[in-house]
Amino acid sequence: MKRTIAALFLSAAVPTLALAAEPDPLESPLWDYMRQQFIGQDPYRFDDRIKVNLPEFAEDPTQVPVTVDAEALKGNIQRIVAWADLNPIQHIFTYYPHPQIIPRVSLRIKVQQGTAIRAAVLTKEGVWHVGGSYLDAAGGGCTTPSAAAGNPYWESHLGEMKSKFFPREQGGRYKFKVIHPMDTGLVDAIPEFYIEQVVVRSDQGDDLARLKLSQPVSENPVITFDVRDNTQKHSVWLRDNGGNEFEQAL
Amino acid sequence: MRNLVSFMIAIISVLSLTATAAPLEYKLQAEQVAEDTWVLVGKLEDFSNKNGGNIVNTGFIVTDEGVVVIDTGPSLKYGRAMRKVIATVTDKPIRYVFNTHHHPDHFLGNQAFSDLPILSLPKTKVQLAQHGDAFAENMYRMIGDWMRSTEVKLPTETVEPGVLALGGHELQLMAYSGHTGSDLVIFDKKTGVLFSSDIVFYQRALTTPHTPGLKVWLEEIREMKAFNFKLMVPGHGPVVKGMEALEQMEGYLAWLDETLSAAAESGMSMTEVIRIPIKEEYRTVALSQREFERTVAHIYARYEEAVF
Repeated sequence: MKRTIAALFLSAAVPTLALAAEPDPLESPLWDYMRQQFIGQDPYRFDDRIKVNLPEFAEDPTQVPVTVDAEALKGNIQRIVAWADLNPIQHIFTYYPHPQIIPRVSLRIKVQQGTAIRAAVLTKEGVWHVGGSYLDAAGGGCTTPSAAAGNPYWESHLGEMKSKFFPREQGGRYKFKVIHPMDTGLVDAIPEFYIEQVVVRSDQGDDLARLKLSQPVSENPVITFDVRDNTQKHSVWLRDNGGNEFEQAL
Repeated sequence: MRNLVSFMIAIISVLSLTATAAPLEYKLQAEQVAEDTWVLVGKLEDFSNKNGGNIVNTGFIVTDEGVVVIDTGPSLKYGRAMRKVIATVTDKPIRYVFNTHHHPDHFLGNQAFSDLPILSLPKTKVQLAQHGDAFAENMYRMIGDWMRSTEVKLPTETVEPGVLALGGHELQLMAYSGHTGSDLVIFDKKTGVLFSSDIVFYQRALTTPHTPGLKVWLEEIREMKAFNFKLMVPGHGPVVKGMEALEQMEGYLAWLDETLSAAAESGMSMTEVIRIPIKEEYRTVALSQREFERTVAHIYARYEEAVF
């Protein structure tokens, strides 16, 4: 019967729409609004080849691991935008991968409640391919003070990086960690303070990966990405919203 | 069709009424496991609205001079039900109530014993004061109305490791740390019963939100194996006579530790680690997949840090 009602509703609604929009597979209440924010009027389609890998539940809402994998569209990617529909600050990152880097990135984020987490991949033809997964959470990750807010350790270690290269059968993997409070600005009397830009450079001077980060990325970010060529040397450069720049050979 | 809709709504309302009208009751049963010793065995489940958080083993020892209670369960309602069960077994007064550690399923029944001395290790009391309210809040979210009127009631006294003699029983109190940093293990020398608290989980996957480290825990399990007990009451899971519970703990902890180390050394990210299949012999352990995922969230960052 539910279907009958839905069908009635649809048949009434369709004539007023120029294009019947694909329904959101995650049934998020904010999908339409988010789509306007991040995709605008561009053509898009839901595509389950765009992987957003998450745990089922946010055990620690200040450190939720997320992997976005768009390898299925390799070589045809302009940029990847990731966001969490129901976070107070939705945007997580925008990623511009070079063809020499595997379009897959892992990091950890803060979530305020259970939410759909999306990755929208803009191809060179100008079509967005949207993937996503639902995360269950008790919440509170964005309005919990960072550990740094109660501990001055970060002040003398800001921007310190540790990194490691892991050779793989093909190419290799970099994982690095940087000391930064990544304050969202949503906690009373703690202004926003977070890393906005990450650039991975090859020794030939190419920008292999450019990442624009937003406040939901977790404190002391740990970022993992994969390169196709493990004979090259790489370095990483970061800048936060306070204008501090950090650079390190990987 | 409108008639049909109202009919459906009527049916749904009747169904939900009957569902909510059933009184919440724990139906606790005390099982005598040794001379003077009773255990209330909980389910091998996660907290839910259905089980009211009765997923924990609590127990009591009836000595000539009164009763010693070991843990008070997940809610005021549980604590009250437990006290009733004790009264059906003995008319001796309760002398001491122990909280073995600071996790919510072990102490939130304290209010039902608020007229009595409630004892814990000193560090447990500090942890309860720090995290107790947050645990209680989370329990309201997970089990709902079962928690009605439950509030944190802190231990009234602290105990150091040593021997507590009461009514012909000598209870050896031991401070372990593998599960939460402060875990009270109680050995009754008269009966040979070892109340291992959550240092031992059996047939139910262990939990790690406050572990100081798997290696610490593993070391303590190995220590416990040398202990000459006749019967072990684990914090979760069936009571056992032999080494099977400790062997399961030892094997599972070792597997966890090796798996997380190897994952970190190969550069795996957390979302990849949570997809590692559980070693076959532990797949039948209740909640092993879910608890493995939680463990990765709790401690994998430490393994990553060690590799940098």
